[in-house]
Amino acid sequence: MGRHQAVAKTYRRTRPVDWGRSVHRRRYMRRELTSVFLIAYALVLLSGLWRLSQGEAAFDAWRAAMSHPLALVGHAVIFVAALYQTISWFQVMPRTLPDSQIRPASITRAGWAAAAVASVLVLALFIVGGAK
Amino acid sequence: MKRSNEPIIWLLFGAGGMLSALVGPVLVLITGLLVPLGILPKDSMSYQRVLAFLQNPLGKLALLAVISLFLFHGVHRLVTTLNDYGLRGGHATMTVFIGFAALLTAVTAGLLLGIGF
Repeated sequence: MGRHQAVAKTYRRTRPVDWGRSVHRRRYMRRELTSVFLIAYALVLLSGLWRLSQGEAAFDAWRAAMSHPLALVGHAVIFVAALYQTISWFQVMPRTLPDSQIRPASITRAGWAAAAVASVLVLALFIVGGAK
Repeated sequence: MKRSNEPIIWLLFGAGGMLSALVGPVLVLITGLLVPLGILPKDSMSYQRVLAFLQNPLGKLALLAVISLFLFHGVHRLVTTLNDYGLRGGHATMTVFIGFAALLTAVTAGLLLGIGF
């Protein structure tokens, strides 16, 4: 880097040379990669909203595209990533609450339970709403 | 002194992480798999029904929250990870990506208002 080049002030931690092969790195990468799939899902929903705003024919074309095998495979991958996000988010959560008096495992389990309850609730609301 | 915007960004990141952890899988399951496969009735995501849902203020708010917070959470995490892997100019990259999330949030809000109440 040149003498006069601006240097980003962002802190960059130095890593041990074998970090690239470490099991922790791989776990970390897998966890962080879920973010890409969350972005992808948000874009899918946004595209659906955009097509909806164009009228019924456009929205039906979007719905047909969602049934395409590639879309189904894509959503299956996103689903696995989203599930991984749910699991790991609550596994990491105790570490973001270092002063908590609650046992880390209890925080994680409470989070998973909350996600299960929320999921059942959303599914129930969707099905009940659909019956109207 | 210029105030840092970091607390706001972090709040959006955290809210997106929590929302996606709570309902991410079930939403993907419903909209991406169960309905397209016909396991749940395909008509449950018909034009009329989705339109009615999104013409309700609560429906608008729900979709805006999901799209916007998933984006803010996702891009924050993505840039942080790239930074960990030695990406130069982390602050500038973060600004661009957060700007992308903010822009798409505005687009979403505009479309939601556009379809009426």
